[in-house]
Amino acid sequence: MMNNKMPATNGFIRKNAVLSGLMVISPVIVCGNTVMNALAFIYAFSAITFLSVAAGSFVPKKIPYGLRIIIYAVLGSLAYIPVKEAAEMFFPGVIERIGIYFMLIAVNSLITVQSEVKFYKYKKGKMLVSVMSHILGFDLVMLVVSAIRELLAYGTFCGRIVDAEVLISGLGMPFGGFIFLGLICGIYRWIVPGGKADEDFGGDRDVYNF
Amino acid sequence: MFIISEIVALLTTNLILTQALGTSTLFIAAGSRKNLLWTAVSISVFTTIGSFGACLLDSMLPDSLYDLKMLFYVLIIGMLYIISLTVLYFADRKDFGTTRKYIHVSAFNCAVMGTLFTISENAEAANLTMLDYICAGAEAGAGFILAAFVFTAAFKSLNSENVPSSFRGFPAALIYLGIISMAIYALM
Repeated sequence: MMNNKMPATNGFIRKNAVLSGLMVISPVIVCGNTVMNALAFIYAFSAITFLSVAAGSFVPKKIPYGLRIIIYAVLGSLAYIPVKEAAEMFFPGVIERIGIYFMLIAVNSLITVQSEVKFYKYKKGKMLVSVMSHILGFDLVMLVVSAIRELLAYGTFCGRIVDAEVLISGLGMPFGGFIFLGLICGIYRWIVPGGKADEDFGGDRDVYNF
Repeated sequence: MFIISEIVALLTTNLILTQALGTSTLFIAAGSRKNLLWTAVSISVFTTIGSFGACLLDSMLPDSLYDLKMLFYVLIIGMLYIISLTVLYFADRKDFGTTRKYIHVSAFNCAVMGTLFTISENAEAANLTMLDYICAGAEAGAGFILAAFVFTAAFKSLNSENVPSSFRGFPAALIYLGIISMAIYALM
């Protein structure tokens, strides 16, 4: 189990949800190929995750674990509705491009199985700081990955053409996302002390301990 | 030839290798082969039976309530989750403490929910029947098992000391899946 004396801001860099925690990686791989996609996803992910985890913290612990997980997923699905309405105004056209990944934010692992391990061990204030740090950590990775991939794959930045001499179109594809995220992850672990998950594969195997 | 063409079909429609859905779950489960196998089997059960529920819902849900689809899918998987835990409890009470974890991990994740949404989107275009839904759900589950098998084959090498320490494990696995995914992209 996670040590609840661990700093709540760990999720931003040192225990980053994507690079260290192996969580929410599919949208980074598939949707993180242009900055506009990334911004739309960041907005939706941040809003849905924060609202759901904050609301989920009021779910009594005496309810059986299985039912709590369902309640968390229901809260995520409810948060998705207004966030989607707003997203259609702020990011017209982008939501269609992101497709099912937008809906799947509602059941991302930070909201469902990981919330108890990562957040609900803390008291409310510290928990919110922890949630924010994990969300910001994800946002940072999503933004950096999408900016580099857009530049190298399409020769654009935020949709504007830039003077790129070499284009690697495969980086815009899911397989390019896998490989690029793997490289970023290796570099991150080389730079950040303690960035490597304790047990690597199954680094978040706490979810198997319930 | 039939088996080869089925394997190719499973690869080219594979949710992990083509859409990265369920990759996190695959990595979390990869802590041990037993975890990986049983998580893959549980996910297959959820995708297959969940597809049946998704078909029923899609046929009843009016377009005006499309935004509630996610909520209803969550409730379908939620019901399936409770039923699975109950069945498991009465079927094998002695090992329930060990086996229930696979259900916990398999119920709400991108692999299961992504399968339901993908099938539902395809159904809108191709007018699928209930049997098509269930077959597609089973195929997605089989695809997850196949991806788990592909992953397991390289598990030791990806964790070996020959791999530089910062790339050992998860980063190497991502690159490995990327290369497999690239090969499958060539088949599509």
